[in-house]
Amino acid sequence: MKRVIVVGGGIAGTIVANRIARTIPEELEKGEAEVVVLDKSDKHVYQPGQLLVPFNVQDPVELVRNERDILDHRVRFLHGQKGEVTKIDPANHTVVTADGVSHTYDYLIIATGSHLRWEEVPGYKDAVYSPWDFDSALKLREALDQFSGGTVVINVAKLPHKCPVAPMEATLMLDDMLRKKGLRDKTEIVYTYPINGIFGIKTTNDVMIKIFQERGIKVISPFNVTNVDPKNKVMESQEGEKVKFDLAIGVPPHVGAKVIGDSGIGDKRNWVPTDKFTLRMKDHSNVFVIGDTTDIPISKAGSTADFESYIIANNVANEIRGTGLKKTYDGSVFCYIATGVDSATYIRFNYANPPVPPPPSYVHWWGKLMYNKLYWTVTAKAIV
Amino acid sequence: MFIMIKMSLKIYKKLDLTGQSCAGPLGELSGVLEEISPGEAVEAVLGDEATKKDVVAWATKKGYKIVQERRDGNNYVVVLTK
Repeated sequence: MKRVIVVGGGIAGTIVANRIARTIPEELEKGEAEVVVLDKSDKHVYQPGQLLVPFNVQDPVELVRNERDILDHRVRFLHGQKGEVTKIDPANHTVVTADGVSHTYDYLIIATGSHLRWEEVPGYKDAVYSPWDFDSALKLREALDQFSGGTVVINVAKLPHKCPVAPMEATLMLDDMLRKKGLRDKTEIVYTYPINGIFGIKTTNDVMIKIFQERGIKVISPFNVTNVDPKNKVMESQEGEKVKFDLAIGVPPHVGAKVIGDSGIGDKRNWVPTDKFTLRMKDHSNVFVIGDTTDIPISKAGSTADFESYIIANNVANEIRGTGLKKTYDGSVFCYIATGVDSATYIRFNYANPPVPPPPSYVHWWGKLMYNKLYWTVTAKAIV
Repeated sequence: MFIMIKMSLKIYKKLDLTGQSCAGPLGELSGVLEEISPGEAVEAVLGDEATKKDVVAWATKKGYKIVQERRDGNNYVVVLTK
């Protein structure tokens, strides 16, 4: 019997496990193969939806479900100590869980994701609200409800981070929300970003920065934050800028999972070295890496994981069946970009073709909301 | 993970930046270069000359050292260190 272990039951791990189950149903039912998902938590959080919570667009209760309910019935799921992976050992084809059990595998898929390292910037946790953190997103909603004007700074502490377009979205939704509340004239919005411009891809940056200019949003870049003074509400940068604010919204520094570092299989930020086309871990052909976990210069986003899941699921299935067929990832990414609380645009691109966002419209906003709602019943379950 | 360059500098990471990435070449490089220790370098593979010039200009302004520039087929390779 071939055993496929998926470490991590987030968006990437769940989609790829379900897609494998749907690709090799006969092998699973005959007991010729099994798919096992390991995660400490038995809850599944749809993190992309957190961005909409502070703007009262998304009910946070709808963002959390039981992982078991989302996984295909043919997928085994272990959680708690039985699912908490403490060591990944590719040389011996095993993973160890917190209950001391060593699990051997024929194929391993690492989907341990990206995590926030707030403490890397002194003062950040105390002074900055972040939709990238579930609890902080709720607190930001309260802060925005009480906000009556002043300076709001939007900050990206470090690249890369998950949902790369989201800082632009937060900025434009904030602008729109404040206009609708009659508070925009009393507010200065300052967007700070580690490299020149507001986004890393030039074709997208050129379109989006015009929208920022039309909305009167001030941009300070490059701005690499070094510390935040929570008492005086001042954010400082390596470049010598000091920005005083009344409200700060930010993206804390990101790193890969602790178990990657503990296992000695990642780089200095715990990203796992991965081939950008095959999605196999470098030097370990029976280990695949998916989603935010990789060190590939590509977007850390749910749609990236979804696109990658087709490649990994097919290649795992092909190897189990011995067909010899191989698929490669072309760098596909798709992201909606909210440009207000009732308008959006999008980017769709791959390694070879840069994205140019179309004019913002209500249709794309509707698409963004539908994409989020369909996550539970379509995307997560790998229906298409 | 490491290979030797000039007997004294280790390549900490090779970054293939020829494809599209949301952080862009400078964003990807900025995150990795901050992590390197003395004696380590990063090798960046870039898809066009304009991007190569941007990277060199940005790195010079940030105080990084360009150890090597070379062509590799249609790509441009830049090795950077602190």
